[in-house]
Amino acid sequence: MNEPIAVSPKSFKSAVKPIWCPGCGHFSVLNAITKAMAALAIDKDNSVLVSGIGCSSRLPAYVDAYGFHGVHGRGLAVAQGLKVARPELTVIALGGDGDGFSIGGNHFLHACRRNVNLVYIAMDNEVYGMTKGQASPTTPMDWDHSKLTPHGPGVRPFKPAAIALAAGAPWIARAYSGNPNQMAKLIAEAIEFEGFSFIHVLSQCITFCPEQTDWKAIVHERSEPPLDSADLAARLFLADDGFATGLLYREPRATWPPPLHIHKNKNKNENEALAALAAAFAAQ
Amino acid sequence: MTLHTELATFLAHSLALESEARERYLELSESLAAHHNGDAAAFFQRMACEAGQHLEEVAELAGDHVLPQLQPWEYAWPDPEAPESASYEALHYRMSLVEAMHLALHKEQDAAAYYRQVASDSLCSETRRVAAGFAAEEEQHAAALQTMIAQLDEPAEHHRLDEDDPQLPA
Repeated sequence: MNEPIAVSPKSFKSAVKPIWCPGCGHFSVLNAITKAMAALAIDKDNSVLVSGIGCSSRLPAYVDAYGFHGVHGRGLAVAQGLKVARPELTVIALGGDGDGFSIGGNHFLHACRRNVNLVYIAMDNEVYGMTKGQASPTTPMDWDHSKLTPHGPGVRPFKPAAIALAAGAPWIARAYSGNPNQMAKLIAEAIEFEGFSFIHVLSQCITFCPEQTDWKAIVHERSEPPLDSADLAARLFLADDGFATGLLYREPRATWPPPLHIHKNKNKNENEALAALAAAFAAQ
Repeated sequence: MTLHTELATFLAHSLALESEARERYLELSESLAAHHNGDAAAFFQRMACEAGQHLEEVAELAGDHVLPQLQPWEYAWPDPEAPESASYEALHYRMSLVEAMHLALHKEQDAAAYYRQVASDSLCSETRRVAAGFAAEEEQHAAALQTMIAQLDEPAEHHRLDEDDPQLPA
């Protein structure tokens, strides 16, 4: 039988079935990840998905590849360590807005700065869903749907793309759960990019934020090519409405660790290689 | 949207449309089953079977053609997703059977509209002929769903309201 593509996205789904709420945007992210992995014919035995804690962080269990369901906010720390130790692996870190921008906010900043060659997908639904709808770092300041913040959090929301840029991320994209095919393309490009690639996904939580079904009418695809200057990107990210999707910024720079620390030392003894790695880390 | 001047390109789109519809209906069914909505889950399971049957028919028709290998983002759909793929966000764990049917009806109508447009606009006569046949099949599905919906009562106004009362032991 003719199949739409040579490798089926379905073959990248595990036997574990998602227990996300019906209507959750994370289904679409799972769909996009498996489509991207199929499109690139990724070797399952050499790919790892690493997450923190939260609704979105359940995702590695649903993909037929290696996975690590880590500690809250520490997915990026684990993912970077893994990629540095095993550079031949395809490493995808993922998590939610609370996990990535609050509990793991510090790791996010330094992952952007460090520029280890991996993909980070932040599935942003502007709420802590697993704990039943608390305000998160990206919740609008007047969102008053939670009993914990009956008048809204009253705090300006975090701007993930702008923060990533300021911290040094060389590749920044935004996707929307209502368009898994565009998201799949971005994930495939992110995997192929040499460096830290950050995808901010607008992934609706219809259970605690039913108003997010309005995103469909607000989201718009940015048709221009990605910006290659941090100055221009800063202006875009600080002024945009947060709903422009596509590859927004791409400015390759040297990844960490520098290749010589691992590859040129491969014939020396292991202690020397580890010492070189430690020295590079300390010098940062 | 492309006019599908080649039959092979159109068949590649049709295969993807039916394949994604089957997978999506299965996902919706499993999602609702996990949240104990048996009626809607069983309905979407049935829709997945029907999409699977149509997929087999299209695959049989496509068997002798060399189809282009398209990536998911290379298909020329009128909307971001394939026409028969129900939106994830349209789901609700307390959705009624009738609401599930309305969702499926909407997607069958979208698929029929897509095939009708190809049947109307394609520059290839064979593509137009095949697309018209597919459109007629989707219209039959839609009509059957409309008949089923007419036999059921609409849900109560606040049926989705969940007070989330604590589950105390008996």
